[in-house]
Amino acid sequence: MAGERFRSALEQADDRIVAGRAMDGDVAAFAVLVRRYTPMMRAYTQRMLNASADVDDIVQETFVTAWQRFSELEDPAKVKSWLMRIVSRKAVDRIRALRPMLDVDDMEQAAPSHSAPARVVEARAGIEALGAALQELPAAQRECWVLREMGGYSYDEIASELDISVSTARGLLARARKFMIVRMEAWR
Amino acid sequence: MTEEQKAPDVRQLGLEPSDRDGHTLEELSDYLEAGRLPVDPSIEGSPGCQLALDALERLQGLGGQLIEADAAARPEVDDSWVDRILSGIALDARAGRRIPFDESDPSVDFGITEGAVRGLIRSAENAVPGIMVGRSTLDGDVTVVGEPIRIAIEVNAIYGESIPTAVARLRAEIAERLHRQTDLTVTSIDVTVRDIQRISSAAEETS
Repeated sequence: MAGERFRSALEQADDRIVAGRAMDGDVAAFAVLVRRYTPMMRAYTQRMLNASADVDDIVQETFVTAWQRFSELEDPAKVKSWLMRIVSRKAVDRIRALRPMLDVDDMEQAAPSHSAPARVVEARAGIEALGAALQELPAAQRECWVLREMGGYSYDEIASELDISVSTARGLLARARKFMIVRMEAWR
Repeated sequence: MTEEQKAPDVRQLGLEPSDRDGHTLEELSDYLEAGRLPVDPSIEGSPGCQLALDALERLQGLGGQLIEADAAARPEVDDSWVDRILSGIALDARAGRRIPFDESDPSVDFGITEGAVRGLIRSAENAVPGIMVGRSTLDGDVTVVGEPIRIAIEVNAIYGESIPTAVARLRAEIAERLHRQTDLTVTSIDVTVRDIQRISSAAEETS
């Protein structure tokens, strides 16, 4: 009974406490972090890769790395963004392994057609429309957009993660935004 | 839905270079992110740029909302996933420094890990209602017997309990446990209360 109450208190504790304990070697606290952030890390990885294969492997590797490197986390209250950075790096590594060179020439996609895919037609919310539009972006644009808008990376950080120039990263992002704006316009 | 909504005129969005009086979308994105400061009269005075800025503004923050929505749409994490992660981690990775016992016989070398000492510190909360222990730090050279060690602990107080009483009890409990189970020379135990934590009534009912 006391144990259950305690587990519940730990599950309800904030990141500073839970990550602080996990850093100190508390496996139960680490398990709370795994439960708390797996859905977001899976979602992020899936958006980054635009595929679901490999997602669980990448998220698992991320947690293993996090456990190993907890001493590098300076502020346990920031564990969420720290985990997202690690999962982002792992996803980029996977992309690079599958496709050593980012094909920045593959920058043009077909203009959004007016006969949108069924998935989009059914979308009731703008967020769903955005998600559908994101899936249609060419890989290089999608990766830049996810790093920027979901990962909160600066242009410089995107350039160094993807091994491209800053101006290329800016150009890819501008194209991605233009595509998304046109796509989203139908849901205004 | 009107015909216009179905087929938005891209020109109306300020997305073509000719609409924007020489300003690029990259430039406008930067301007927006800088909070439209310092004010650029050439951008603010261009109807095409205004349309593009409006469109970019509508897009702002949607990435964050999308990832939240994606995560919320995913099923709860099941136990087998947690087990899979936990079985893949090296338990000794967080052991920290080795803390020797005060042993007069030089041929005997016993010790305890820093991680185990932190476990002892955390376990003190079991004897103190109203406290949840977070990170603990052992300041000083714990690898040398007799070195003065300062212990710093972050905690949350559970709503409804007296904080000064709980902190005093926790400090005494930790001192007692460390004295009994280690040979550390503890000079002080500093407890920082970071937050007041509520435990939901639903959780209390199940306990």
